[in-house]
Amino acid sequence: MTSWLSGYGSVLDLVLLNCGLALSQFVVLRAGVFSVATPALASIGAYTAGIVTLRTDAGAGTGLLAAAAMGTAVAVILSVPLARLRGVFQAIATVAFSQIVLSLALYATDLTGGANGLNGIPRLIGTTQLLLWAAAVVYVLICLSRARIGYAFDAIRQDETVAVTLGISAVGHQTLAFALSGAIAGVTGALMAYHNRSVAPEEFGFGMLVTVLAYVVLGGRRSVLGPLAGATLLTLLPELARPLSDNRLIVHGAVLMLVIIYLPHGIVDTLLIAYRRRATAAARASLPIDEVSDGPA
Amino acid sequence: MIAQQLLNALVVGSVYALFALGFTLIFGVHHILNLAHGAVFMWGAFVGLYAVTLLNAPFPVALLCAAVVAGLLSVALDWIAFRPLRRRGAPEFSAIISSIGAGLILMNVAQRMSQTRVMRYPFGTFPIEVYALFGLRVTLLQLTIVVSVAIIVAGLFAYIFYTGFGRQIRAVAVNERTASLLGVNPTAVYFQTFFISGALAGAAGVLIGIAFNSVHFLMGEPYMLRAFVVIVLGGLGSIGGAVIAGLLLGLIQTMTIAYLSSDLSDAIIFSLLFVILLVRPTGFFGSLRRERRVARE
Amino acid sequence: MGQLELAGVSRRFAGVEAVRNLSMTVESGRITGLIGPNGAGKTTVVNLVTGLLKLTSGRIRLDRQDIGERPPHEVARLGIARTFQNIRLLKEASVIDNIVVGFHRSDPTSFVAQTLGLPSVRRTRAGLEQRAHELLRDFAMDEYAQCLAGELSYGHQRRVEIMRALAVDPQVLLLDEPVSGMNDVEAAELGAMFRRFAERELAVLVIEHNMQLVMTLCDELYVLESGELIAHGPPEQVRNDARVVEAYLGGELC
Repeated sequence: MTSWLSGYGSVLDLVLLNCGLALSQFVVLRAGVFSVATPALASIGAYTAGIVTLRTDAGAGTGLLAAAAMGTAVAVILSVPLARLRGVFQAIATVAFSQIVLSLALYATDLTGGANGLNGIPRLIGTTQLLLWAAAVVYVLICLSRARIGYAFDAIRQDETVAVTLGISAVGHQTLAFALSGAIAGVTGALMAYHNRSVAPEEFGFGMLVTVLAYVVLGGRRSVLGPLAGATLLTLLPELARPLSDNRLIVHGAVLMLVIIYLPHGIVDTLLIAYRRRATAAARASLPIDEVSDGPA
Repeated sequence: MIAQQLLNALVVGSVYALFALGFTLIFGVHHILNLAHGAVFMWGAFVGLYAVTLLNAPFPVALLCAAVVAGLLSVALDWIAFRPLRRRGAPEFSAIISSIGAGLILMNVAQRMSQTRVMRYPFGTFPIEVYALFGLRVTLLQLTIVVSVAIIVAGLFAYIFYTGFGRQIRAVAVNERTASLLGVNPTAVYFQTFFISGALAGAAGVLIGIAFNSVHFLMGEPYMLRAFVVIVLGGLGSIGGAVIAGLLLGLIQTMTIAYLSSDLSDAIIFSLLFVILLVRPTGFFGSLRRERRVARE
Repeated sequence: MGQLELAGVSRRFAGVEAVRNLSMTVESGRITGLIGPNGAGKTTVVNLVTGLLKLTSGRIRLDRQDIGERPPHEVARLGIARTFQNIRLLKEASVIDNIVVGFHRSDPTSFVAQTLGLPSVRRTRAGLEQRAHELLRDFAMDEYAQCLAGELSYGHQRRVEIMRALAVDPQVLLLDEPVSGMNDVEAAELGAMFRRFAERELAVLVIEHNMQLVMTLCDELYVLESGELIAHGPPEQVRNDARVVEAYLGGELC
């Protein structure tokens, strides 16, 4: 019985960790920033927590706090140059940033263990902490979505010029989005370190970057539930069948291509849009007939 | 000895230039960031190797074969991954995601075909001859690489700037809609640019495969990342820029690896990319496409 | 009190002067018109005022305060709102959400309150939605509140854009071709609304090609041609100005 539970328990842990990563990626995309820095920020969090715990007697709490602080700080610093770029070039810049972090991690052997990474990190957290973390992040993000900041993010993402003429500071909000993304990624990375009891540099490379993007693309970039759905589905899929697990690359690749071509808004957002369409169709049915769109719109 | 290192730099840089040319062509003309380019490069290497090992083809034939197959593969890629998005008028984010997905699928297929092994050319595929030129030790292979790249670049230049086809490509680079109104068939142009891009990548793949005598499904990754540096450094869509930037990158990489450390080399290169993005995002040279807004006004 | 002043304003784009040495004033309580042939630089003026474009030279002042160097969101916060020539609504959002975004400036909830989901957030949001509904009622569009903005007719989309600009609670309202594409009846209706705005002490600037509207509505006209001011004054005076007539190539100024 316990082995069955623990079997599922570890899958749940994985889902929760991936949800954290997905939410970190989601926040910046929601605010219209094309950043893929989440894996790099997570690695910074993981290393910070690992180093803190291995070198001092501090407990998990301190490690997580330190990871959050580092993740946020680095993200905010990163947002400064990124504010001057847009679209594809932000993506390129963040990929460059990821490579810099990776190579520094490999180079600073004394601090980070180089290619071997950090090992022997005590397992200080369990499923409960992961659940609490995921719940907290989801709660905060939903609250923000319904408040002024969330509306500002949506406006900036859809039309930055308009947002700015309404008094919304695009740079300020995008820096905030970065900070949130960094904090979430940093803590999630730290949790990964405690969960896996090690930090390996290649974990946070291009593979994770693609996977995390896949979570958000599959689930949806607009509502908070989107990345959750995407992360859950893609984490559970390989567990369902061996061939799926062996061919992870194809699965992720196919998901990315098929979704972006045929279901561009992602699963959750497509459902929400359909639901909304039906709701407004009912409202529109009661309107005067000549009000259907005619002119150039 | 420095001169020997400079020779290495020339060889490495030439291949970077060749790889980046295909990438920058697509980006400059169609503004598509084709992240499957590395996978096409890798497939070129695979085809070259199989042509030699399975069909007993002489090396030049294998090279040609690989270029043609890679070119066709690239065209197929455009058809499947990009065309549906173009039809829909999807944002550039979608094309990038789609290309990532396509690249993953190509890599996974190659992984299965090669059973995740590193494959090598049989002994004697390429004659091992060493010359002493200007006091340097130059192998026939190195000479072949540099000369091949030079010929290919010259050919590409001639094609783009001195033929009718090339003029059509340049027209589409400036404005696709206007070009089609003026009688240019965009489909034909897409076919050409993608074919050329793929052929260039395929050729580069074979050259690298034989130069390091190693062909494996992940070999495209590091080149993709380097390609970012080259296109940003050299300017989007600039052929001359890609060549010069490729050579420059080869120089920087060779020197930092020789005199510093290979990990720091990465950190330096990508920091350079970062700085260039901020300081002179359109690169150092002109472009096939004049106005490309990279940064905010 | 909401007076917008341009002094010697110029903007150069790679050798072409889109606007040259323009001086004009938009007074509160009046409707000022900015007219001129296509390409005269009218929208450039609005972009300069709102901070989307940098000034090459000259000054822009709001109530004597220099705002020429301010970034766009600050200019908006100082009370300058605008609409766009090609309607720019958030197509994916509902009509009411489009308007509520305009209330950004009026939402005082703290970051902490927003992060924790404190009741003040919901109360503020409800209040802003109320105000949005009031605006919708003023424009007789309350039934459209939940419709997706992209599905509305052209005329209605324009109104939503105007409502959004009003949500900013501006002192100065810059309207870029607000009645283009509308028939005379609709245009006149909107014109009457603009008059009401002016009566509420707003400084209203209208860029328009609809001469009938411009002549009847505006208290004062500025005429731009190739970036330069060629005439200025009350409509009857401007209409008879030789340079203006020529600029329109003998077209009717009615």
